Amino acid sequence: MSEEIAIGIDLGTSYSCVSVMQNGKPVVIPNEWGEETHASCVSFLEDGSVLVGNAAKRNIITRAESTVYSAKRLIGRYYFSDEVKKAQAVMPYRIVEGSNNSVRISIHDRQYSLPEISALVLKEMKAVAEVYLGREVTQAVVTVPAYFNDNQRQATKDAGRIAGLEILRILNEPTAAALAYGVGRDVNQKVVVYDLGGGTFDVSILEIGRDVFEVLSTAGDTYLGGDDFDDRIMTWLADDFQAKHGLDLRQNRYCLQMLKEVSEKAKIDVGMKGSAQILCEGICQDTARRVLDLKAIITAETFNRMVMDLVQRTFKVCDEALQSARLTAADLDAVILVGGPTRLPIVRNSVTHYFQKGPLEGINPDQVVSMGAALQAHALLDEATSTFLVDVTPLSLRIGTVGGYTEKIIDKNTPVPIDKGKTFTTSRDGQEKVKIRVYQGESNRADECEMLGEFEFSGFRVGFRGEARIAVTFEIDTNGIVNVSAADLETGQRTTTTISLSSGLSEADIQRSQQANRSLPRARTAS
Amino acid sequence: MEGLCRTLPQMDYFQILRLSATAAPEEIKTAFYKQSRGFHPDRFFHLNDPLLRTRVNEIYKRITEAYYVLRDETKRRKYVADIGGPDRAQKLRFTEADEVQNRQAVKKEREEEVGLHPKGRQFFQTALRDAAAERWTVAERNLKTALTYEPSNPRYREKLVEVQQHLKSDMKIR
Repeated sequence: MSEEIAIGIDLGTSYSCVSVMQNGKPVVIPNEWGEETHASCVSFLEDGSVLVGNAAKRNIITRAESTVYSAKRLIGRYYFSDEVKKAQAVMPYRIVEGSNNSVRISIHDRQYSLPEISALVLKEMKAVAEVYLGREVTQAVVTVPAYFNDNQRQATKDAGRIAGLEILRILNEPTAAALAYGVGRDVNQKVVVYDLGGGTFDVSILEIGRDVFEVLSTAGDTYLGGDDFDDRIMTWLADDFQAKHGLDLRQNRYCLQMLKEVSEKAKIDVGMKGSAQILCEGICQDTARRVLDLKAIITAETFNRMVMDLVQRTFKVCDEALQSARLTAADLDAVILVGGPTRLPIVRNSVTHYFQKGPLEGINPDQVVSMGAALQAHALLDEATSTFLVDVTPLSLRIGTVGGYTEKIIDKNTPVPIDKGKTFTTSRDGQEKVKIRVYQGESNRADECEMLGEFEFSGFRVGFRGEARIAVTFEIDTNGIVNVSAADLETGQRTTTTISLSSGLSEADIQRSQQANRSLPRARTAS
Repeated sequence: MEGLCRTLPQMDYFQILRLSATAAPEEIKTAFYKQSRGFHPDRFFHLNDPLLRTRVNEIYKRITEAYYVLRDETKRRKYVADIGGPDRAQKLRFTEADEVQNRQAVKKEREEEVGLHPKGRQFFQTALRDAAAERWTVAERNLKTALTYEPSNPRYREKLVEVQQHLKSDMKIR
């Protein structure tokens, strides 16, 4: 019998990465072509097979309608949310409405839920690990942005199940990075993790007390990431092109994708070399059918001016995290940078200036999260676990009250796991059901918070109004996932709980998706 | 573990963290770390024993709760007062109702720092202290000075009216 093994997966907006513990150290697993990070990109081919990773990314332009990327921006969101509207304007694939305000992606006349898309990325990571290890892998720790709400966490967990993985833990990305830094180092330090990913920004402040990793506070912005930097370059290029030729490249989906690709490359080049040459031959034709090229040079100075406000926005979030932790920048011992965009000199310099301290060297910002996830996966299965992680809930948990208002039940930055009880009663004689809407967010107003669902309790003793007393327990577990249960206070009998108005998948949906996922063959192409 | 689980409902936060009620703030963190090493659910994750896992989870949730309340000076003060009172049995867990009261206490504290001008705030605070010590004439003078910095502050005016009423009744007694 071989020893149990579990992998750590960083499921990113743009890129994903998978690691495993070997000889007591986390190791990043390369695929057959030696690539260590894989585009979180899924391309559905004509023959019914699916291509995932960097090879799929090359299909964004040629097979635009059937290639899905940045799905993480949409996972666990409601169809009516701003993020979905924004994605509909820029994404070449079709985003449609599913049941209960959920989001579906329509490809070749079949509709996919977001967990199904993410499951294909997870399945690829699983396959990469299996090829490398030469054995089956069924357990994993998957990371999510710390600022993800319950809907997004739940959807990510569902994705894991669909991919045939038992998700041992949903771990926060910055926390994973801190683990990768601190495990086995035997330090007593306060560290900050500045995590600027492709689509999200998170900052967490941790206190490491030898083997205990305590998250003091976390703050974030799920609408800010490297993609927004690309957008700035795109706008600059497109405006310039329009001024010169009178054509708006953004009107054509093909041109838009080309524009997106060169912008991402320009961002990386300008960060590495201080300036970038942009050349995109034959991007479009003008009305006289002349073929036009897109040409430009972007200097670091121009680029920095374009994105300065985005960088400043991250520090607003850092202010918030420091304040919640009741610390100042001077109290911190180390700064850990995570995410590709933190390679940009403008980000590094601004971070150094803000925290009055240079970031730690020797940490790979693309890989550190998956390494931390592998460490945690190993720690969970190991008998001699010697790392204890105490994370916090990033958002306040609330319940709906009358008139569209909410009442706070559990404050943000409360350590998890935790539970809190509240007693409810009936308002009418003979009432058989009590309904409670649960929200996450920082506003008193329900419509400014994210609704997690409506919980309906029944099976308590029916009587006159105000007679039944129902003790409801709100729990946030170590995954940051919310569980609600209720009992009749008089009899101690557990009540039946049903959840509605939630965008999540039902048990039946998940099982159907598991079936479908197994029947989708993995496409093989030479890299 | 089973025994601890059973006595959990009767334990206060200090007992849960194994601390004395006079513990210093640093001791609270140390105790929390110590209890985490012993009862963190991850320690028992590899054991395929659902009952044990549930129990550890119940215990650990109470440990994080104790830490969350006791590390906050305002919450701790309120909690200590509660469990020292006659309703101890009902007050072992800090509840949201307490938090409402707590918020009101904080609000009151903040109100005492009321005012837009720092000098005005300073005179107002001195006036509050004077009023509390029933030095009505001094309080009146300080409030009037505070009002020169911020003539329309309703809180200052309200307090002035209150102090002047005291002054009037004092005169009557004399």
